[in-house]
Amino acid sequence: MNKVIYCSPQLNGQQSIGKIMLWVMTACIPGVAASTWFFGWGTVLNILVTMIFAVALEALILWLRNKSLRIHLADNSALLTAVIIGIAIPPGSPWWLLFSGICFAIVVAKHAYGGIGQNPFNPAMCGYVLLLLTFPLNMTTWHLPVDTLFDELQFSTLSWTSFMFSLQLCFPALTSDDVQLTEYLDGFAMATPLIEYELAKSSAVLVALKNNTSLFASTSNTGWEIVNFGFLLGGLFLLTKKIISWQIPLSIIMTITVLSLLFYAPGSTAVYGETYLHLFGSATMIGAFFIATDPVSAATTPMGRIIYGIIIGVAIYSIRVWGSYPDSIAIAVLLGNFFAPLIDHFCRPRIYGHSTRSGL
Amino acid sequence: MRFLSLFNHDSSRIQLRKSSGGIKPLSNKASSLRSRIMSTPIPKILVLPLLQHKGTPAKPIAKSGDRVLKGQKIAEAADASSAPVHAPTSGRITGIGLHALPDEFGTLAACITLASDGNDQAIKTTFTADFQNMSESDLLERIRDAGIVGMGGAGFPTYLKLQSSNEHPVDFLIINAVECEPYITADEALIREHACDVVTGANILKRVTGAKQCIVAIEDSKIDAIAELKLAALNSAIQIAIIPEKYTAGSEKQLIHSVTGREVPAGKYPASIGVSLHNTGTAFAIYKAICEAEPCISRITTVTGSTLKTPKNFHVLIGTPIAFLFDLCGVDQTKLSRIVVGGSLMGTCLPDINAPIIKTTNCLIAGSAEEFTEPQPEQACIRCSFCADVCPVNLLPQQLYASSRCQDYQQADNFGLFDCIECGACAYVCPSHIPLVQYYRASKSEIEKQRTNRHNADKWQARFQFHQYRYKREKKQKLLQSSSIEHQPETEHNKQADFSREKARLEISEAVARVKARRSKLITTSSVATEREDKP
Repeated sequence: MNKVIYCSPQLNGQQSIGKIMLWVMTACIPGVAASTWFFGWGTVLNILVTMIFAVALEALILWLRNKSLRIHLADNSALLTAVIIGIAIPPGSPWWLLFSGICFAIVVAKHAYGGIGQNPFNPAMCGYVLLLLTFPLNMTTWHLPVDTLFDELQFSTLSWTSFMFSLQLCFPALTSDDVQLTEYLDGFAMATPLIEYELAKSSAVLVALKNNTSLFASTSNTGWEIVNFGFLLGGLFLLTKKIISWQIPLSIIMTITVLSLLFYAPGSTAVYGETYLHLFGSATMIGAFFIATDPVSAATTPMGRIIYGIIIGVAIYSIRVWGSYPDSIAIAVLLGNFFAPLIDHFCRPRIYGHSTRSGL
Repeated sequence: MRFLSLFNHDSSRIQLRKSSGGIKPLSNKASSLRSRIMSTPIPKILVLPLLQHKGTPAKPIAKSGDRVLKGQKIAEAADASSAPVHAPTSGRITGIGLHALPDEFGTLAACITLASDGNDQAIKTTFTADFQNMSESDLLERIRDAGIVGMGGAGFPTYLKLQSSNEHPVDFLIINAVECEPYITADEALIREHACDVVTGANILKRVTGAKQCIVAIEDSKIDAIAELKLAALNSAIQIAIIPEKYTAGSEKQLIHSVTGREVPAGKYPASIGVSLHNTGTAFAIYKAICEAEPCISRITTVTGSTLKTPKNFHVLIGTPIAFLFDLCGVDQTKLSRIVVGGSLMGTCLPDINAPIIKTTNCLIAGSAEEFTEPQPEQACIRCSFCADVCPVNLLPQQLYASSRCQDYQQADNFGLFDCIECGACAYVCPSHIPLVQYYRASKSEIEKQRTNRHNADKWQARFQFHQYRYKREKKQKLLQSSSIEHQPETEHNKQADFSREKARLEISEAVARVKARRSKLITTSSVATEREDKP
């Protein structure tokens, strides 16, 4: 006999927040792997360190808030925030930088607003923007690739030595007595080609462009291109798993494509960058598929998601081209977050059997 | 000409519209379809609730101790929205009293208890089996008299549905054999074995409604049933619409949209847009009532679940105790964890296993803990909007949930809470394990309570105002009477003074009434009662 009477439906789909977050983290693997292959262990190390901090901070706050650790730690949301921040922060950043970022993201941007589901802004991007404002130098210091500038270094990016270098970059205390290594420490990653493009408008990059050399090939052995394809692959995987919806990534990518096609003028002195550079020479793919699609802070209606994506796309392009920040995913996503509730209010779908949209 | 006929042929094919939302859970239908429909033996005791449908309960006409025959009417329709009840077999009525119904509360309701004598002796009827020669009104009367209600689970009296379709010309008559909910196979089994009878039932319905088009809608996964149906519908004007497998494709409103492209306006019946939709089981019951003169005394019910040894479909008498059916299938008591009546998504837990099968009981599931997992702890909504993606009515369940949770019922109502069909697709996909349907039901009942309160308040306010008005009028009349009687000259002076005092009091009471009427939206019965006591 039934001891407890359950409300319908009696079946459930066995989906859970923890599984969703795990799938999103899994989808990050191709991009992160590509990044490791080309630029060394920096990103992986970033992710690992932020993950440890994130779990510790999440557990602490949950304990302070009298929440069940077993239920809420299992939702994996802190881990995902850590992965996104780990990817976003330049590889080779010191641990205290990572800690500040993840601390602000978890403690202030998420839990101070009421925990998972309650935060109006994307926690990872809040942490990132805080770092960008407080430590602008660290956040824009991108190390150039090893093999292009330091020919005398004879080791691959995946070697043990390379890993030790990254580790020492992350924890500077470890390297106090080893002077020789620090000379070459600046060699384990680079900014996206777009950032280089932005920072060194009249430098070698432009020369490379003029010489019809591929920007990707000349400076980073097509690394960033592949990294972006990796994130694109992960994003498509999430789409097939129906974890993210197609509207947000597609509208962001389309908006950036259209804007860069409109404004790109190869001959003119005002250099805006070509479409391919905007899509695959920057953080566009991870932004469109992994960051802007954060369900909590994004718009949720089908029509609303498209508008939300367009707002972010326009913001990304505008800040890149006319603003002072080299790349702009974080600021653009936060801008989109501001609009999300308003968009959702006006984009409600028409309910079956009603001639007009509801509640307006 | 040939071209034209080809064209006609093409246009007669049903063009399906894509319905929004929906989920694709495991169907779990195979186990109960392995064997043919089995007729149950006659149980010793049958319990027949007077209310097996939506509407008012039937009025018993048989008394305790009466001997009744199979098919004899034992309770008659109390009014238009009621349906009569017939004796499923011959026997003696042992009593009319309270008995648990097969719903989630185990509601005690008035039921007629019948002790069968095992003879199954039918009542003699005079009827013409040929429905073609009967008039529409005769058919309609026969359907009403047979106590046929919607057999798909809703239980809306069929007579009422058909009558309301008389007011609007019916363009489409749809027989719903989609049966999209997991576990239920009653309609599929019925069509597999009685397709011709269902088609005849559909033809009767077509006759009664005068529908231009008659469509049988069936899910594409039911291959055997489709074949049988095609065979049965050969040489008839009945069309077959094959609906892609998806949960809520068979829900009334969704099916109407995907077959006809029309939407049932909110708060209206399908009849208002020229559609009459009936369940397969209803069509079969109508066939039985017209062609075999057997009223609605039995139905096809699926008895399934992984704890049963032999799950199957039963041709079962109305009033059979549910426990009787489970005994026939052999329940593994060690694994049994949840008994569900209705489907696995819209169905409810059954608190009392001795409740009877009623006209709307289409499925019984004796499930194990693996099938029906314990609900996991509810977590915060992460606005993933999986729920909105699967909602067949295009609601935003996450927003309904938010406003339900903070008890902003006005907002929930604005967001279309009452358009929710409680299909449970949202709760099925929710990764936070929020019992969304439960929230919606709570909000709906709360809003309804508020509406009743408001209605009562308005009613009491009107009564109070009328009371004030009458009070004033009576005072005035008294005043007129007293001023017209001028036979006491010695008190003339005093009377003058009385009159002005009276007038002043009247004015005061008028002013008080005005203020009260303006100020109080909610006047409780107690305050009105005290006012009434004040009345002279």
